[in-house]
Amino acid sequence: MFKGIRKILVGGEKEKEILDLIREHIEKLSEAAETLKIAIENNDPSLNYEICELERIGDVIRREIALRLYEGAFLPAVRAEFYRFSELVDESIDLIEDTSVYFSMMAGINPEIRDLCVRIAELNCKMVDYLYHAFDSLEKELDLTDKTIKLRAKEQEIDGLKREIHSKMVKIDIKSFWEGYILSNFLDNLVNISDKIEDAADVIQILNVSLR
Amino acid sequence: MIIQGQNVMKTVGKDLVSLRIEIISISLIISSLAIVLSNWKKVPVSSHQAIVSSLVGSGFAFGVSVDVGILLKIVESWIVSPIGAFFLSILVYRILERGLARVPPLRAERYIRYLLLLSGSVIAYNTGANELATALGPVVYFGLLTPLQAAFMGAILLWAGAFMLSGRVVETIGKGITALDPFSGFAAQFGAGLSVLFFTTLGMPVSTTYCVIGSILGVGMLKSTRTAKSPFLRKIFLSWVITPFVALTLGYIFARLLF
Repeated sequence: MFKGIRKILVGGEKEKEILDLIREHIEKLSEAAETLKIAIENNDPSLNYEICELERIGDVIRREIALRLYEGAFLPAVRAEFYRFSELVDESIDLIEDTSVYFSMMAGINPEIRDLCVRIAELNCKMVDYLYHAFDSLEKELDLTDKTIKLRAKEQEIDGLKREIHSKMVKIDIKSFWEGYILSNFLDNLVNISDKIEDAADVIQILNVSLR
Repeated sequence: MIIQGQNVMKTVGKDLVSLRIEIISISLIISSLAIVLSNWKKVPVSSHQAIVSSLVGSGFAFGVSVDVGILLKIVESWIVSPIGAFFLSILVYRILERGLARVPPLRAERYIRYLLLLSGSVIAYNTGANELATALGPVVYFGLLTPLQAAFMGAILLWAGAFMLSGRVVETIGKGITALDPFSGFAAQFGAGLSVLFFTTLGMPVSTTYCVIGSILGVGMLKSTRTAKSPFLRKIFLSWVITPFVALTLGYIFARLLF
């Protein structure tokens, strides 16, 4: 009972733990995005192992967040949003891992689209950065709109690059079904990372609105 | 009940009807049956309406003096209190909206947690000062229990009732009328709490249930008139109108048949 009263009066320990875990989760996403960018830039498929490891850690963090939320952090009405957010961060890391796996199966990226892929990987890193700041702002700032707008602008830029890649892709000479399959999946996953990050930013905005 | 329940206890237990043990028994049996049945059927019924109306009904049957002036005042407060809660919840919502717009979202979440606790406490206080006072006023004024004994017994039984039977009504109120977020939940609960507190001070036995419904409706309407679920409201409104008549008639018939 005293623990309950203390929680009411002082409170916030569980919440702080969850916020720290979510920050750590986004940091893992950031590391994974950065590693993928370096892998594509340097044509180094060996970094796939590091990304898989980050994905594994990400899963552990997501489970930890779920457990802590279940133990009673935050108002029940917003718990689902926090979990949805961590799920989306986790799905983003999963997509980075898939992209990295397909990349490791390719014999390098065709020079026609290589720079565009590097640019998308860079933009993904930027978006994760914005996501981190948007999440951090939930605790510190009144208006998160500018942060989520910046994030959406980057996503639109990636959509533009995606169209450019598709127009160039059709001209690439593909030697076998599997080569085409792997390239197509690699590109799909690479451009979908930003969609997931954008979805996570939307959850931040929903959290913001639901507490007003 | 101990601090502020005296006014309501006096109105119901002393001023309204000249009490007899049979009147108290009939009234409490009818009201408890009505409440258990309504909880089972997931319709919020006011214990005040059931108690006051069955007291008056059996009072008429026994031919004891019933103060019609007090009865009319009580009925008036039954009508005014939910309307008051409706407007108070809107006012609380507006004030809170402005206040929370000035703090970061996660700090707002923390404030809402404290505010929900505050509004819950106001409602719990009102339950003692008004609901319990209405139910136990006749018992205390007839000399069956001292106010302290009544408060102690009432508190234990109130806890037991909340623990065993409240879930279904919580579902109706919390989800049935309109979808409530924590922010609206606080405004509704606090608006209702203030309205009941005002009438408690005046010594009027008003229903927390109907005040909460009035204030949930207020907050719901503030967002959009379409958010309120009309079939539920119709059911609640009917129960609000029908309960006093049914309880009064049953009180009269039981008193005639049994004594």
